[in-house]
Amino acid sequence: MHPAEFDLSRSYARHVTEEVVLRTKGLVKRFGSITAVDGIDLEVRRGEVVGLLGPNGAGKSTTIGMVLGLITPNAGAAEVLGRDVRVRREDALAGVGAMLEVTSFYPYLSGRDNLVSVALLRGGGALARVEPLLARLGLAQRGGSKFRTYSLGMRQRLGIASTLLGDPALVILDEPANGLDPAGQREIRELIRELAGEDRGVLLASHLLYEVEQVCDRVLVIKKGKLIASGTLAEVTRGGGSYFEIVVDDKARAAQLLRGLGIEEIRETPTGLDVVADADRGAELNRALASAGLYASAIVPRASSLEDVFLELTEPEPPSASPAS
Amino acid sequence: MPWIMLGLIVVAAFGFYFLIWASVNAQLQAVKSGAIPAPPGGTGQFDEVLREIAPDRVPNFGIGLVSGIGSVMLIVFAASHVGTEFGWGTFRTLLAHGASRSGFLVSKAVSLLLYALVFMTVGSLAAIGASYTVSAIAGISAGSGVDLAEVVRVAGNSGYTFLPYMALALAIAVWSKSAGAGIAAGLVVYFAEGIVAGILVSLNKDYAQIVNWGLSRNASALTRTTTAAAGQDPSFSTLPDPTQAAIVLGLYTTIFLALAYWRLRSRDVTVGG
Repeated sequence: MHPAEFDLSRSYARHVTEEVVLRTKGLVKRFGSITAVDGIDLEVRRGEVVGLLGPNGAGKSTTIGMVLGLITPNAGAAEVLGRDVRVRREDALAGVGAMLEVTSFYPYLSGRDNLVSVALLRGGGALARVEPLLARLGLAQRGGSKFRTYSLGMRQRLGIASTLLGDPALVILDEPANGLDPAGQREIRELIRELAGEDRGVLLASHLLYEVEQVCDRVLVIKKGKLIASGTLAEVTRGGGSYFEIVVDDKARAAQLLRGLGIEEIRETPTGLDVVADADRGAELNRALASAGLYASAIVPRASSLEDVFLELTEPEPPSASPAS
Repeated sequence: MPWIMLGLIVVAAFGFYFLIWASVNAQLQAVKSGAIPAPPGGTGQFDEVLREIAPDRVPNFGIGLVSGIGSVMLIVFAASHVGTEFGWGTFRTLLAHGASRSGFLVSKAVSLLLYALVFMTVGSLAAIGASYTVSAIAGISAGSGVDLAEVVRVAGNSGYTFLPYMALALAIAVWSKSAGAGIAAGLVVYFAEGIVAGILVSLNKDYAQIVNWGLSRNASALTRTTTAAAGQDPSFSTLPDPTQAAIVLGLYTTIFLALAYWRLRSRDVTVGG
């Protein structure tokens, strides 16, 4: 390969015009008899933050592993900036900065030297970004300390700094807020939004739903390796519907009465009932309860949060459904 | 670890030279003072041992010493050099940052080769330094001095015989993702194969036809031809031809590296890898 050609391939990340920075098509990964990822299709565009949600073992890290070429898929493909990771892995990854769930660096090297070693691997102008990134991630003071002396939060910050050394078009962050204190978590959320503002695409795998809610433009929910919901936050939470939190003493009578109004989904809570109904039916519910002598202490309209939707979507299946799977 | 090992080989070379001189000299003095009886063959054997310290014996004695200790250290280093990358999870980090698997293995193999070269050079220089120092203290004649060309030839041959063992330790470390397993496998093969081969040949020289395709006999074929004691070795005549030995050892090295590459290329790298 001609040197100039090589340089181009290593520095195209911020100069290509691809709108979709990551696209997977029908990714499948099986470990023995277990299907960890089952036909995942996803897209990340420039300037957007996409949240990858799922319970433990759902297949999030395996999906990321396939995107990075660490794990070979049984079927399907992952393309970064239009380049197939299986065919042109090194070229494709030149445009990616990835932080894995477990942040690992050489323990005997300082944080700064670890970044330098990654920068040498990256080439281009990565070396010049070491000091600015240490400062940006709040590690300038401790940059000279050995990695083994770092706290979990500092390790996470170093991991995030390493993702940005190559000035990537796509940033993949797997649980970046692990071990960070609340202030640190907020900083990371701000940083993620800044990255999107710099026209990078961000794929964020996280267990922290409020974090996802605050920074993500779109979310993908996976369960047992399958994509079960995707869309903007509004689209996904709309799927969970709106409901009323009704504080009432006689829960049984109130539930019977509300079922008579055609409401099917009623959940008992310690203080009363959660009633799934359109947001404009508040007055009707109040009137019906009052006319039956059931005076509610409160009728509060609620919209399903991402957490509600997530828990509902990823709820374990009842035992009767499991033999088929 | 690399610097510690270089320091250790220097200390070991000086330490062994001093130890040998001190212990033999102590026995000589004891015999002379009548504290202990003279051995049946007289004190000539003590003088012969002391002669080994002289600079003109460095190619045989000094390099043999460095090789004996160095082989074990380099097997340990080879397995650790790769195994720790899996233990620390840094192999996964490197791949995630765009490193190629083949590039990783090539860089490890080349750096091991270079380190073995540096190690043997430092070890040889330490042996020469120790020989001159202890000879001066003990009043042993330097004789014709060190034959540098012979030192380079013997050290080169010895270093070459380490390569398949290092490649084996590396391959096992890659397969098992563990430095410990690589060290164990490398050392077991290094010691056990040689012992078993020696026993088999001593029982029946025809067994040489089989064990001569192993590592230890080929390694011996390369190193024994460089020693004056070769002719005194009863199994010397059954050793493979040195050229054949060099080819066989080279083939083993290539095969072990190829196996390591095949495993590294096909492996899924998950947490802990």
